[in-house]
Amino acid sequence: MKFTLKYKQINEEREIPDKNYSIKDLLDDLELSAQTIVSKQNGELVIEDTVIEDGDEIQLVQIIYGG
Amino acid sequence: MQCSKCGNPKVIYKREQSGQILCKDCFIESIEKKAIRTIKKEKLLDKGDKVLVALSGGKDSVTTLEILDSFRQRNIIDICAVTVDEGIANYRQDGVDIAIRHAERLGIEHKVVSLKEEYGISLDEIMQRENHKGSCTYCGVFRRTIINKAAREMNATKIATGHNLDDEVQGIMMNYLEGNTDNLTKLGPKSESKAEEFTTKIKPLREIPEREIGLYVVAKELEVHFDSCPYAMQSFRGEVSEVINQLAEKHPTIKYSTLRGYDKIKNILKNELKKDYSHGRCKRCGEPASNELCKACSFLEELGL
Repeated sequence: MKFTLKYKQINEEREIPDKNYSIKDLLDDLELSAQTIVSKQNGELVIEDTVIEDGDEIQLVQIIYGG
Repeated sequence: MQCSKCGNPKVIYKREQSGQILCKDCFIESIEKKAIRTIKKEKLLDKGDKVLVALSGGKDSVTTLEILDSFRQRNIIDICAVTVDEGIANYRQDGVDIAIRHAERLGIEHKVVSLKEEYGISLDEIMQRENHKGSCTYCGVFRRTIINKAAREMNATKIATGHNLDDEVQGIMMNYLEGNTDNLTKLGPKSESKAEEFTTKIKPLREIPEREIGLYVVAKELEVHFDSCPYAMQSFRGEVSEVINQLAEKHPTIKYSTLRGYDKIKNILKNELKKDYSHGRCKRCGEPASNELCKACSFLEELGL
């Protein structure tokens, strides 16, 4: 069970650690704030509660930068 | 889970402050309606206005342009734009290019003014000087001066900036915490000056949270420059912003209540505390100034220019 993560220069395959692994869990693992990121699942905008499925492409876009 | 407005199951946003859940189309519509409501409520636009958008190419200014363009399309106003190139290597050029493309897409009058051409020095060069006052100090003053001059040159009747809810609340709290009551009287949706050389400034996005503007540009697939200024450092604004965002996690309406509270006392503050500046002229450039030199020229003199 794998998904592809795209974030800035990162483009990598990652294991889905458990069944209900959500984008929010991924953001926590990456130590990113949901307040500064919007998420796309297979090219479509989704909320952070979305559960990541096998074969998904998850793209994270940072929308808030300091300064 | 489905959109609170239309029932579409493809939702993209959960609005913490109201519990509303929205699909893409309803989210986009809600942002545009909110800005239009602010414009109408605060009487930010008059029919026949020529509005100069301070267009950096970032999410806030591009959203401002996009929303004001709906008024242009209905022949209510005309729009032009100015982009200030501060001269920051590996950062500013992308934003300038994006701003140019938006102006071309909409077919509006647009000018790019660089600090180097205007004052003979770029921000990068200023930052190489010893004893500089910090990048944001110069950037803010020079940018404001350039935008004001552009407004006059382009015969604009209003200047629109992309200040969002987070910017406004940070401004209110920073000035309050610093006891800067003078600056506290200058915030708000519309800033008018007695000096006729200063064009009225308007903030159509001041009631929209920064995060929602970020989501809006992604949802609308608008090209914007998402990047961090290399000179962004641990500023007081940054510290205040962090505290407000921490509070907002448990109290999601706190930014709105801070803004509402300020709006209620703003007129009292203005009446009680507003200083009547004697508007003279800068002896160097002729711009309005409360001292012998305007702020921009006093910096230029300090820099030996």
